[in-house]
Amino acid sequence: MVDVLFTAVTMLIMVPVALFAGILYVFLFRKLSARFQWRVGPIVRMYKDLAPLLGTSRILQPLYDILKLFGKDTPVPDISRKTIFVASPYLAFLCAFLAIFFIPFPGVPLLSTMEDSLVIASYLLIGAVMFTILGAASSGSPWGAIGARRDVEIFLIYEVGFVVALFSVGLVARSLSLWEIATRPGLPMLILNPFAAVLLFLVILGKLAIKPLDMAEAEAEIVAGPFTEYGGKHLALFQLMKAFLFYDMIALFITLFLGSALSSILWLPAYIIAVIVLLFFITVIQVLHPRFQIAKGMSWYGRWVLVFGLLTAIMVLVLRFYWVV
Amino acid sequence: MTTSVDPTIMEWLKTEVVPEGLEFKPLRENRVLVRVKLEDVAKLAERFVKKLGARLSHETGVDREQSGFDIVYVYDFSNVKNLVLILEASVDRDNPIIPSVGKVTWQAVWAEREIKEFLGINVEGMPDPRHQFLPYEWPKNPETGLPSDLSLYTPATTGIIPTSANWKPIGIDPTTARSSLLPIGPYHPGVIEGQTVYVRVDGEHVIDADIKTGYHHRGIHRLIERRGYNKGVFVAERVCGICSAAHGLAYVTCAENLYDAEVPERAQYIRTLLVELNRVQSHILWIGVAADLIGWKTGFMITWGLRERVMDIIEAITGNRVNYGIWRLGGVSRDVSQELAMKARQTIPGLKEALTQLIPAVVDHPVVKARVVGVGPLTFAQAFDGGAVGPVARASNWKIDTRRDNPPHAMYDPRKISWEIVVDDHCDMLGRTLVRAKETFVSIGIVDQCLAYLEKTTGEIREKPQTIEPGSEAVGLNEAPRGELFYYMRAGGTDVADYMMPEGKHNVQGSNLLQAVRIRTPSYRNNAIIPQMLIGSALADVPIVMGSTDQCLACTDRVEVINDKTEESHTLTWEELVRMSQKRWRS
Repeated sequence: MVDVLFTAVTMLIMVPVALFAGILYVFLFRKLSARFQWRVGPIVRMYKDLAPLLGTSRILQPLYDILKLFGKDTPVPDISRKTIFVASPYLAFLCAFLAIFFIPFPGVPLLSTMEDSLVIASYLLIGAVMFTILGAASSGSPWGAIGARRDVEIFLIYEVGFVVALFSVGLVARSLSLWEIATRPGLPMLILNPFAAVLLFLVILGKLAIKPLDMAEAEAEIVAGPFTEYGGKHLALFQLMKAFLFYDMIALFITLFLGSALSSILWLPAYIIAVIVLLFFITVIQVLHPRFQIAKGMSWYGRWVLVFGLLTAIMVLVLRFYWVV
Repeated sequence: MTTSVDPTIMEWLKTEVVPEGLEFKPLRENRVLVRVKLEDVAKLAERFVKKLGARLSHETGVDREQSGFDIVYVYDFSNVKNLVLILEASVDRDNPIIPSVGKVTWQAVWAEREIKEFLGINVEGMPDPRHQFLPYEWPKNPETGLPSDLSLYTPATTGIIPTSANWKPIGIDPTTARSSLLPIGPYHPGVIEGQTVYVRVDGEHVIDADIKTGYHHRGIHRLIERRGYNKGVFVAERVCGICSAAHGLAYVTCAENLYDAEVPERAQYIRTLLVELNRVQSHILWIGVAADLIGWKTGFMITWGLRERVMDIIEAITGNRVNYGIWRLGGVSRDVSQELAMKARQTIPGLKEALTQLIPAVVDHPVVKARVVGVGPLTFAQAFDGGAVGPVARASNWKIDTRRDNPPHAMYDPRKISWEIVVDDHCDMLGRTLVRAKETFVSIGIVDQCLAYLEKTTGEIREKPQTIEPGSEAVGLNEAPRGELFYYMRAGGTDVADYMMPEGKHNVQGSNLLQAVRIRTPSYRNNAIIPQMLIGSALADVPIVMGSTDQCLACTDRVEVINDKTEESHTLTWEELVRMSQKRWRS
């Protein structure tokens, strides 16, 4: 009973924490890329003369953007399939939101102690992308249709990598519970199977639409891709989904490959350092590259996912049968 | 400045090129005016373009009020001889029909569509009879207000009654294209200027393309005609914000060709300096835009950051960043002092070094390469027939450059300034990128030499202009950053009606108004061949191919509401628009 109560309380606390973390990740991503691009980006300490008008800090700028969208009109195109069109943002958001409960936070297992939390988390993360595609396909806009098509193409590649990376860890740890994987004694998985870590990192690039793999949302080519017809609170929900997805993917990476950072709340500083390092790499890749053309991008991405997928599989065989973990 | 045409060229012209000519009149510099009969123009076009390898610079018309129209063709023979041929023929006012040159060469097609709309002259047998500036479905002849064969949807020619249901951009059949016809524009985030490119896609593959411009016709020609020679240059500068220096120089070159102009050497150096600084910032700007079009915000930000350094030099010299306002007939209005030239020159090595680091990084980036190699192919033959100009033509291995062929009134004399024409044989996006990157360095070299001259010398910067003979004609050419820029002028005073004069005065010799000015911008040519480059490429490449011509579509528009049932039109005023928006927000 106490366990259930504790879990319920931590879950309640986790909602604002994950939201804040997601927003902060997006802020860091934006700030870092701005600095790389000779821009200022969202201001951390507001200039003195503007502070009365704009507040002392703009760290929560991504949240303000989302809140602003909630206050705007929410158009629904006449030619769209309205039920699917309207339901998709809610469902996509729900998937990304629920996933936070199945991925542990330092010292807080939440629902990740469940036997199949790895499987549930992976389904929820796939679902978030699936509903984005569904919404775009039902929007009736040619740009949305092309965006959805590109999303499906790239989705087919990174989902293979995603499943391979996740279950390679599960196979070696002989468990499908994320909490068990995280608190497993011995060397961290990053050292045991670095190929799987690279593979999951590649998947994160595709899933978060980081350049050069943002063909689905190519703003100059196909307007906004899947989000072309979305506005107002629907778009706000998609952006919230993105913030949660940011949190989910990074938390999942740390859980799988740097599990010992989760065993106690005292490891929080190490967790934060890991987050910053990951965000730094993601940002560097984002700012260094233009967008691929879809066909060339697919072959490039497919090639690397395949290579690291095979290496991961070989590594898993070695670890599972010839290595006493 | 004034050089007369070589007698051997005149002889060659009379015997071989235009034996049909009725009247031969050498103008200033290498321009020769030849009057011919209207029936001969199509035959002559065939001979000039197909046999002699000349380029049609522009085709246009001049309204001579009660005397009818003059149709003007300007051919550039610089591939063969140092000659610009202005071919003129009279058109009857009561029966304004001219034979089409567009059948012979694609270069004339857009020009003929324009003539049809501006002057109401019908062109017989033109390959593309659609509206140029008006919407395709516009039912009436803009000149006479009567239904005419100008519109595709006039019942007389097509049997189609114009409604919104049967509207279609031509070239693409709506019955087969409904599901896959994508309108890129009029205001698309990829190319943030007013134009529509219709692409028909099969998956991600472009199988058909069409372009429609004319979303912001401002009537600049007329504005200049009503302002006179001296004030016209300020309007001309405002044709384009990015290559305003090129427009200023082309305008003064043209106006100075109307009389016997002498431009002091120092003024010529200052003009060259500004035009080349303008080219540097324009090319850097383009590299940034191209980076943005392929989704590389970092490249965009950094190149535009560097561009600011060039803008700072321009600002120090002219006091302005965009429209410099220093162009005057017979010189320039502001001197560049020796100290200023010295200071500006000190910044050049730093700029050059920054660009030397940046541009190879942009051009050699592996993903950028994947986006530009083989994209938007344009062969030499296509470029020649389509009339490509500037970096687009030079990237298709066609060595044309107005600065060498028909130099404007600035310092491009190879004995005083050393520079070269950059050509490239890739014939694709990569070629266009490389040409612009290399030209940036050539231009910086010219800027450096100009500043070196200016910091050592002093002198006059302006000569007083002289009276302009009524009815004289001139062509001013200049190499804008985007390609050959064309100005044609005809002085007023012979045909301009009296109503243009103040009460009680009659139009006499020495009127300070132009009868006609015609501008043909380089983008006008390059845009016309965009569909050729698009067909066969991937949808992802459409913005960058469109951007590869460095389009420059000038802005300013007004809203027109047309009721397609009653065909009544009504122009919305600013107040009405404000009221409409307020109504929307209060409801």
